[in-house]
Amino acid sequence: MNEEISRLMDGELDDAAAVDRVLAGMKQDGAKATWMCYHLIGDALRGEDAGSRPLSRRIVAALAAEPTVLAPARRVERPATWAWAAAATIAAVGVVGWTAVSLTDAPESALSLAREAASMRSDTLRPQVIPADYLIAHREISPSTPIQGLGPLQRAAVFDAKAR
Amino acid sequence: MAAAGSRRAGRSATLCLARAAAAAAFLAAPWAHAQDADAMLDRAGSAARALSYTGTIVYQRGTEVETSRIVHVNDGGDELEKLVNLDGPAREVIRRNGEVRCYYPDVKLVRIEPRTFRNAFPSISPQQKSSLAKYYVARKGATGRIAGLEAQAWNFEPRDGLRYGYEFWTDPATGMLLKARTLNERGEVIEQFAFLDIALGVKLERDAAQPSWPPAPADWQVRQQKSGAAASVDTGWVVGRAPPGFVKIMEGQRGMRDQKRGVVQIVFSDGLVAVSVFIEPRGGAQRRFGRARQGGINQYSVKHDDHVITALGEVPAEAVRLMATSVTRQ
Repeated sequence: MNEEISRLMDGELDDAAAVDRVLAGMKQDGAKATWMCYHLIGDALRGEDAGSRPLSRRIVAALAAEPTVLAPARRVERPATWAWAAAATIAAVGVVGWTAVSLTDAPESALSLAREAASMRSDTLRPQVIPADYLIAHREISPSTPIQGLGPLQRAAVFDAKAR
Repeated sequence: MAAAGSRRAGRSATLCLARAAAAAAFLAAPWAHAQDADAMLDRAGSAARALSYTGTIVYQRGTEVETSRIVHVNDGGDELEKLVNLDGPAREVIRRNGEVRCYYPDVKLVRIEPRTFRNAFPSISPQQKSSLAKYYVARKGATGRIAGLEAQAWNFEPRDGLRYGYEFWTDPATGMLLKARTLNERGEVIEQFAFLDIALGVKLERDAAQPSWPPAPADWQVRQQKSGAAASVDTGWVVGRAPPGFVKIMEGQRGMRDQKRGVVQIVFSDGLVAVSVFIEPRGGAQRRFGRARQGGINQYSVKHDDHVITALGEVPAEAVRLMATSVTRQ
């Protein structure tokens, strides 16, 4: 199972049935769902369009399709819009997952965040397109930050607030 | 009666003088006020660091509003700051002399940000300050109440379409910035922050900025971010075009995004705002090119052979596009 997940993450699992199998397996294992979720968070934070990659699209579609996380049986016909919306939600949730989080130390409660992300609706979401790490790197130097330290962190807090 | 009359006459004479002075100042603007405006910016910057204060801040971007509570303690040069958001999931940001810790109680996580290198960089040069007057019309505005204090307004109106306008309100006694607004070319507010209440220059014990949790609670994860410190180097990249008055204030490489050689960051400023140009290898991931906007920040990304160039800053979309599309390799 772990090896298949690893292959899935590396984009080596092209076969739809295999992908479904892995996704179904992950239903029983919250930590791995979390791990996947964090990869998406990382992508979204870096401003990469997670929804544009077939693999991510499938995962996000799986996330979006079911109120319970990662139940892949139901197919989503046109996941593209959803994909981006869900990725954005995850990004909003995911200042927590600022950099990629490894499988072993994913917090238990991240699963509930993932669940929440999945239950969000696209019309309540707005894509976060400016990468947060760039934004923070910029605000550190910009003279316009009125109170030192406040600018970037205030913004980071705003991402969080959007998650609810 | 006569005494009252002469007092009135005296007052109207003063009023006349004041009007004449105001007219003269208006005619002399922006130069007369530019120096004041410079001093105001300097004062606001140092007040935010040197004073002890506690207050409630509201930050608005578009239709989003966020409120936070801030406690800032200056204990004999030691700066301690605690920022807690009041809506949404609880987040606590603790800053001590540059080190920043973010507490996420709902997911039991502490994130330790690398020491920022802001202080290591030279502040705006005098030449740059004088150039402020060239690119903005700075005017001292009316006074008005902000957070219960009688605040002095300042307006910075851009002289071209490549920067935004600003309104600032400061406390005349301490120079502390109480409210700031960013205005687009149509004069609409695109971003603002303001204190709702503030206790300024109060005596605060260090405990007031103490985090609500230990530095690393037992069952929490502690995530130490990699140093984002930028090494100042000649990166070999050149930004060919920038709005007038924008000069390079920093060029370096930052360890971020798992890029082995780091991401190049070149920063330009006109003294009031800045634009960062980031250059990184494209890698495998697909990116979104073109425009993006978030409140008063615009971004423009372009492909340059096997690199992605992104310009972002507190300027209109056209300014970042101009810069991102002018980047070349030496």
